[in-house]
Amino acid sequence: MSSLALGAHVRSFAYDDGCEPLLRNVRLELVPGSLTAVLGASGSGKSTLAKVLAGWAIAGGHGRLDGTLQLGRSGTAERLDFRGLPDDPRLRLGAWGQHVAYVPQRAADLLTGAAATVGEELAFALEQRGTPRAEMLVQVDSAARAVGLGEFLLRDPRRLSGGEQRRLAIACALVGRPDVVLLDEPSASLDAQGLVALSQLVDTLRTAGAAVVVFSAADDPIARAAGHWLLLEGGAVAAEGPPDEVEGSAAFTASGVLREGAATPRAPRLVGGDADAPTPLAELDRVTFVYPDAHHAERRRHREVSGPSMPVLDEASFAVLPGEVVALTGPNGAGKSTSLRHLAGLLRPQGGSVRIGGRDILAEPAGRVAATVGTLFQEPRDQLFERTALREVAFGLAGHRRGFLGASRDEAHTRALEALDAVGLVRHADAHPYELSMSEQRLLALATVLARQPRVLLLDEPTVGLDRFGLARLQAAVRRAAEGGAAVVLSTHALAWARRQADRGLVLAKGRFEEA
Amino acid sequence: MNPLTGLAFAGSAVVACLAWASWVVWAGALAASLVAAAKAGILRRVVAAASVVVVPFALWALVIHGLFFPEGRTVLLEIGPARVTSEGLAYAGAFVLRTASLVVVMLAFSLWVSVPTLRAALVRRGAPAQLGYVLASALGLAATVAERLQRIREAQEARGLIVRSGPAGRVLAARLQVVPLVLQLVDEAGERGAALEARGYSLPGRRTSYLDEPDSRTQRVVRWALAVVCAGVVASVVIPAVVGVLTGARR
Repeated sequence: MSSLALGAHVRSFAYDDGCEPLLRNVRLELVPGSLTAVLGASGSGKSTLAKVLAGWAIAGGHGRLDGTLQLGRSGTAERLDFRGLPDDPRLRLGAWGQHVAYVPQRAADLLTGAAATVGEELAFALEQRGTPRAEMLVQVDSAARAVGLGEFLLRDPRRLSGGEQRRLAIACALVGRPDVVLLDEPSASLDAQGLVALSQLVDTLRTAGAAVVVFSAADDPIARAAGHWLLLEGGAVAAEGPPDEVEGSAAFTASGVLREGAATPRAPRLVGGDADAPTPLAELDRVTFVYPDAHHAERRRHREVSGPSMPVLDEASFAVLPGEVVALTGPNGAGKSTSLRHLAGLLRPQGGSVRIGGRDILAEPAGRVAATVGTLFQEPRDQLFERTALREVAFGLAGHRRGFLGASRDEAHTRALEALDAVGLVRHADAHPYELSMSEQRLLALATVLARQPRVLLLDEPTVGLDRFGLARLQAAVRRAAEGGAAVVLSTHALAWARRQADRGLVLAKGRFEEA
Repeated sequence: MNPLTGLAFAGSAVVACLAWASWVVWAGALAASLVAAAKAGILRRVVAAASVVVVPFALWALVIHGLFFPEGRTVLLEIGPARVTSEGLAYAGAFVLRTASLVVVMLAFSLWVSVPTLRAALVRRGAPAQLGYVLASALGLAATVAERLQRIREAQEARGLIVRSGPAGRVLAARLQVVPLVLQLVDEAGERGAALEARGYSLPGRRTSYLDEPDSRTQRVVRWALAVVCAGVVASVVIPAVVGVLTGARR
């Protein structure tokens, strides 16, 4: 076996949009069985580097690479030298992908979207290579087992929970036994059990001789297990070496990488609201809800599948007072998003009632509930639909369409800019929302909520993918809202963070809330 | 049953209904496909889907041909300018029966067939793999679009959009949702394109299939027999027509 699985020297890489290079002078040498962590704040170039190594950024012809990619396999080495010129060698993604597998940040993007079962989805790459059926069955089964989906081969991939879809994407990447596996933010949205399974999987891959690289904005447990760290800052290497060495560097201290171990101080907060009138601002009162089978699409969307006709919420109750921050926790698929969607008026309970500001909202259209309630959805892209970030935030502020806030055009503009400033995105005001990185998209979605100055703030998994700076902005926004007397409800898997930020924690299990 | 055997049956029925203008053939094809649908446990869905197409069409045909049929001689009822004639009713009935039989045959096949198995069967016989993928994703497109539209609508509702009930309200809301929908689908198509490439979508060489394809010697014989019968049916119509034209031309 060659001592090198993949070598890369990126002298510079830029997309063909005339902008500055996104990567400069990055070198990486991956040996079989190694685990490397590429860490960096949002926008540091992690995902771009992952896409260059995976070939995705080069093969489409939209990017210019000046540098070298070298694949070492079975004793022979294959070297591609790029100069960023039209006569550069052509990287054939189909052939490259057999050796270098990549799971993007939005793992579902790797799936074909056309397979009826998990088994077919897993078999896709093997079918394309003409693997004989008997061998294919064995490989599919073993890949499914490796990610804990052994019992899921006949399930519809679109009906898996978010965590399960991520595991499926990882299994799709490793089913062809690649030499190199690149995982972009692999632990996002995973519950504790999912994280343990992922760590075990990385170990299994390494034992089988694969070189694994994780790209992350946080030094999470998987990054901590790596033997080599590479810290990116502005598209260049700011520090690299063994984790201890990088962690001790000034560059790491100054970077936006989120330290999982380090405690973010609990910000002192003025007590908001009116202590004399403790009427809850948001309240679920003995709410029961079952996803009807006809609403599979709905369930898929919220990644909450708890078996056929089992109530997701079973007489669930909780209330949030003005100025209070409440954290909802529980495993993937427990029904946290479903609870938040009830409070937003987007789902109607089959039993019990939902009250906002003391008023039952059963008969109110969601658009009217939105005058009081602001919602940050789990998948930020689901709520971005305008041409620029500024227009996105200003949507629904001006104008006299029913349900819109009726502000003047100037006032809406000012409020939108203030909200963008609060999340640090003013410089991207004219950018298309899809041009932003995923964590910036989450912050933009947060700005759309903040601009409406809601009295009830619902945040679904708000911390996912955020770096240290993004998280600080989120915390400040939560604090300001609570100090202003708003009720804040957030659902999260980041338990330590939730403990520090919330006044109260509620665990959702078997359809009911219990005090944490 | 092999999906290609089902396809052969459905295809033969369609050819026969189109080639032969006979009540017996149409009613036979209709009855056979309903019986097959009942056996497959999809009768209710087939009837429901077919009614959506056939009932409005039947009403339209009866009004047009039942009331206004210039060639009609046997007048049953006369209301102002409209004349109900038995020839008109017979023509409308035949028209509706033929349409109903074609619609039911095709719907029964498409609701019965397992697309992944059909794709596997086609790929095994050398159809381009890309064609199979396009077939499968096109069938899933409607569901994807509906899901996306709802997500966008909810995001807009969460920011104050009130969708009024009734078609006018929905049309107004849809106008706001179309541009983001198209952008999302295009954006996703770009990512998915790279993912498919990386997973070997355009690798050269022969494909294999994960799914097994149920087949038997009898089914293969039946498929060939049906193909021969279809050719015969077409010939039974085309040959006399060609002969007629040629003899007419000689005169």
